[in-house]
Amino acid sequence: MSVAVPARGRGLARLTDGFAGLRRQGAITPLAAFAVMLAVYTAINPDLFTRIQLQTLANLIAPLALVALAELLIVLVGGIDISVGAVMSLAGVIFATQMEDHGAGVAAAEALAAAVACGLLNGALVAYGRLPTIATTLASAFIFGALANEVLDRPGGNVPVEVTNATSGELVPYVPAALVWVLGAGVVLWLILNRTVVGRQIYGAGSSASALRASGHDPRRAQLAAFAIGGALTALAAILLVGSTATGDPKAGDPYLLNAIAAVALGGAAFTGGSGSVSGTIAGAAVLGTIGSLLFFAGIESYWQYVIGSLIIVGVVGLPALTRIVRGRRGAVR
Amino acid sequence: MSARSAVLPRRAAWLEVTRRLPAATWPFAVFGALFLLGGVLRPSLLSLDGLWSTAAFAMILAIASAGQTIAIVQGGIDLSIANTITVAALTFLSSTQHGTLVALLLALAAGAAVGLLNGLAIAELEISPIVMTIATNGLLFGIVLLAFDFSQLTDTPQIARDLTSGKIAVLGTEIPAILPLGLALLVGLQLVLSRTGWGRALYLIGSASEMAALAGLPVRRIRLLGYVLSGVLGALAGVVIASYFAQTSVTMGDTYLLGSVAAVVVGGASIFGGSGTLIGTLGGALVLGQIATLVPVLNLGVNVQQLIYGAIILAVVALYGRRRADV
Repeated sequence: MSVAVPARGRGLARLTDGFAGLRRQGAITPLAAFAVMLAVYTAINPDLFTRIQLQTLANLIAPLALVALAELLIVLVGGIDISVGAVMSLAGVIFATQMEDHGAGVAAAEALAAAVACGLLNGALVAYGRLPTIATTLASAFIFGALANEVLDRPGGNVPVEVTNATSGELVPYVPAALVWVLGAGVVLWLILNRTVVGRQIYGAGSSASALRASGHDPRRAQLAAFAIGGALTALAAILLVGSTATGDPKAGDPYLLNAIAAVALGGAAFTGGSGSVSGTIAGAAVLGTIGSLLFFAGIESYWQYVIGSLIIVGVVGLPALTRIVRGRRGAVR
Repeated sequence: MSARSAVLPRRAAWLEVTRRLPAATWPFAVFGALFLLGGVLRPSLLSLDGLWSTAAFAMILAIASAGQTIAIVQGGIDLSIANTITVAALTFLSSTQHGTLVALLLALAAGAAVGLLNGLAIAELEISPIVMTIATNGLLFGIVLLAFDFSQLTDTPQIARDLTSGKIAVLGTEIPAILPLGLALLVGLQLVLSRTGWGRALYLIGSASEMAALAGLPVRRIRLLGYVLSGVLGALAGVVIASYFAQTSVTMGDTYLLGSVAAVVVGGASIFGGSGTLIGTLGGALVLGQIATLVPVLNLGVNVQQLIYGAIILAVVALYGRRRADV
């Protein structure tokens, strides 16, 4: 009979709610992994919190974190996007080549428009053409990659220093601009996913499209929106990468494809769709992006980063099943 | 309205005939059409030598895609193929001093180990195949960079070259040895897939794994064996590629990452698993190979080739790869 007091507004309850939400979306392990990593990093290299090192690290992580967020959206609607690397390359070369004639603002808008158009094309084919996501984005990866090469066939472009400062410099001392861009994009994406109808539809489309349809929503709209927003995030990633490397490269996005999927996996998202979080994904990208630099300061051959990164992914993603198996065997012995 | 209803039954009858053809027929038909198109545009292409060189390129892609076919048939995917190829090629070349056969066996063993790792994680830990094989690919890249000394890897054994790029005289024409050997391999493997209990179970697992488990099939063991076989085939592809092209590099496997998935999809397999054949994959590889042959002839760049690859994959998927309406 008593009216349930809404948990919202009560400090502690709200905190535990937030924790439960993060745990439900698998974000606790990657966040913890990142905390451990950061602790080890600062222990090995106490100079991390100098301005130049913070900047370098933020520039390493930021593009990966943003592409990973783009990939997360597609994973949330139950698919996988093979074309993110190619879209990133395309947006990057457009940004780098258009800047000289039209200024950075127009170039950024063009890169953004192109990447969103790529997303809309993928999304329309998947949602309204009923084509499988992997095959569609595999095909469009070839197409967008070819377009990127057509725009700029070798690394080049002219990046003014203001652009480099705005994307990968410092906003104010000790606050790297790249970090601000990622956190800004992360907050906006979190708000879209958790506070708007289309955001909830994106989660719903991945966890149960038929239930979503039965309640009067259109999962196709959610899929299209996921691809479009993903395109925008990929463009931002490309702009940051062009800014920090000061070049446009038609192959620059390629290595980000597998790393973005790995970061999403490490971030705790379920590849069956419907589960995954913004914070976990950013933490996953931060872990993967930091390993190389950490090994450098620890004096270990940096090639080990590929081995260690893979082991971390398998460890984090496989941990639940492993504990289940171990518990199951113990139970059987008893 | 009336015209439409009059056309419908005729179209249905036409569909009935085409439906009875095996799915693998289509890529071969498309390849045939493209080959003739090439002949019309440039008559010199309409020769057996032209056919053999395209076919050899396609056969290498088909061998590299054989493991991918098996992974996709069972409802998974193998994105570790790129660096499996590289690791196997480097293992092979760095152990040829012990004899070519030993080197081959070592390379295949490396592939089996990769497959076992993938299979255990996917079947036992239930890690998504995409995620696990990406992780494995990264792990192997680390191994490639850490464990091999590239300056020593230049010599391919003569026998390995003879068996791949060496020419065999058949009926007055000379064909690369890889063609008959590769074809025998693919046909043999397809027989294993479609005639043995394990192979047929793999298709069932690919289309309905829960049903397979309910029917009492040892799903995990079948999956595991599937990934081991994929790894071994990827390793074999690495040895073949290193022997045929007589060169290696850190990134030698990279083109086969998406290329192998493309060949499987164009070859008519469902990306969701449960259907697809190695012969179809060969057809898919022939289509992609013929495009690669035609594009430079028409003075179009490699970009156009990639564009056409994308368009063909889209066309194939739109024709027979759609999700059912209720999914």
